[in-house]
Amino acid sequence: MGSNEREAGAGDRLDAALQALPPGIDPGRDLWPGIAARLEQAPVTASRRPPAWLLQAAAAVVLIAGSSLLTAKLLDGDRAAGKMAEVAPIAGSTPGADGIATMPASFGPAGRMDPEYVAARRQLTSVLESRMARLPASTRAKLESNLAELRRAADEINAALAEQPGDPLLEELLLKTYQDELAVLANVNQLTSSLANAAASPGDAKRMEL
Amino acid sequence: MPRGGEVGDELERAREAAAERRLVVAAVGGSSAAFEELYRRHAARVYGLCLRMTGHVATAEDCTQDAFVQAWRNLARFETRSAFGTWLHRIAVNAVLQHARRRQESLGAEDSAEREVADVLPDSSAADPGRARDLEAAIASLPAGARHVLVLVGVQGYSHEEAAQLLGIAVGTCKAQLHRARALLGARLGMTEVKHGVE
Repeated sequence: MGSNEREAGAGDRLDAALQALPPGIDPGRDLWPGIAARLEQAPVTASRRPPAWLLQAAAAVVLIAGSSLLTAKLLDGDRAAGKMAEVAPIAGSTPGADGIATMPASFGPAGRMDPEYVAARRQLTSVLESRMARLPASTRAKLESNLAELRRAADEINAALAEQPGDPLLEELLLKTYQDELAVLANVNQLTSSLANAAASPGDAKRMEL
Repeated sequence: MPRGGEVGDELERAREAAAERRLVVAAVGGSSAAFEELYRRHAARVYGLCLRMTGHVATAEDCTQDAFVQAWRNLARFETRSAFGTWLHRIAVNAVLQHARRRQESLGAEDSAEREVADVLPDSSAADPGRARDLEAAIASLPAGARHVLVLVGVQGYSHEEAAQLLGIAVGTCKAQLHRARALLGARLGMTEVKHGVE
């Protein structure tokens, strides 16, 4: 083995040792009391964020994309399973060339999500939740428990928004939470759409375990 | 088609993010109890980052406390495109750099830090605790610039671009510092011979 190869091997071992170090180290003592004492003299400062109208424009784009993507995945999943989902047209939605509805979404004057978007989300969620019944019990329990945490967060942020309408941080946090929920449901839909095939090959059921 | 395990990981990440958003919302509303919960969740990682970057226990404790106080003060400016922990790490790196600038750490302080770091590491920190202690002590003994880059890129997994931005240096400098740090570490751990000019 040449010196270059030896050095490369040593470098790899060093990198592996560095990456194996635990990311966290417990402080030898509790640092919280010292922090807590300083918080009283350090109030949370006001937000310096873009004006609400700018955020609303961004939110509309993100949620239209999120909604149509989810709908597309929903329909694709059903085609794969050999049957179409019965998704009723949503009032105010704009059907695209492929029949996929897109929903405008923004924060209303009370700091709430656009009612049409909320209705679309509720309908999509309802369809996807009915499919969760196809999942193994343990997987379903885990999924429901985790989704409950996302919805608790959305409820609490909505409650905070009701008290502070238009607060940009709260609006961003709510958007992120809804986006996460939709992403999770879309992935679950993809999983459940393959369950019919999984019955034909029982080994695939393992793929459904979260 | 995603596998169940992948969806499970995504679900876990989403659940964790949602739980943290609840705490952030409560903390923004003035709840120090919610902020304490955020502290409990992130203290070890922030302290680990500070300890490795400073190589000094008391300084790392100060920087950790400074970072959380700064985070509390700036909660309303929390950048939601990243996770709370990522945002907090950025603040912690700033706290370390500010501390270094204020104190103009001397070489003597770094020498004493080497012993201190080795003494406080947990025994179960790796499959081979002895080697992990040697490695931590060797990291603590590095010159500050090389140590900062090694911790951010080599241990924390930041890209050179991210680390350079955090440290306020050029990407080329970041790469050079990592090269230097790895060469020094390899030599100090007896894995390689130190090349002329690296020290």
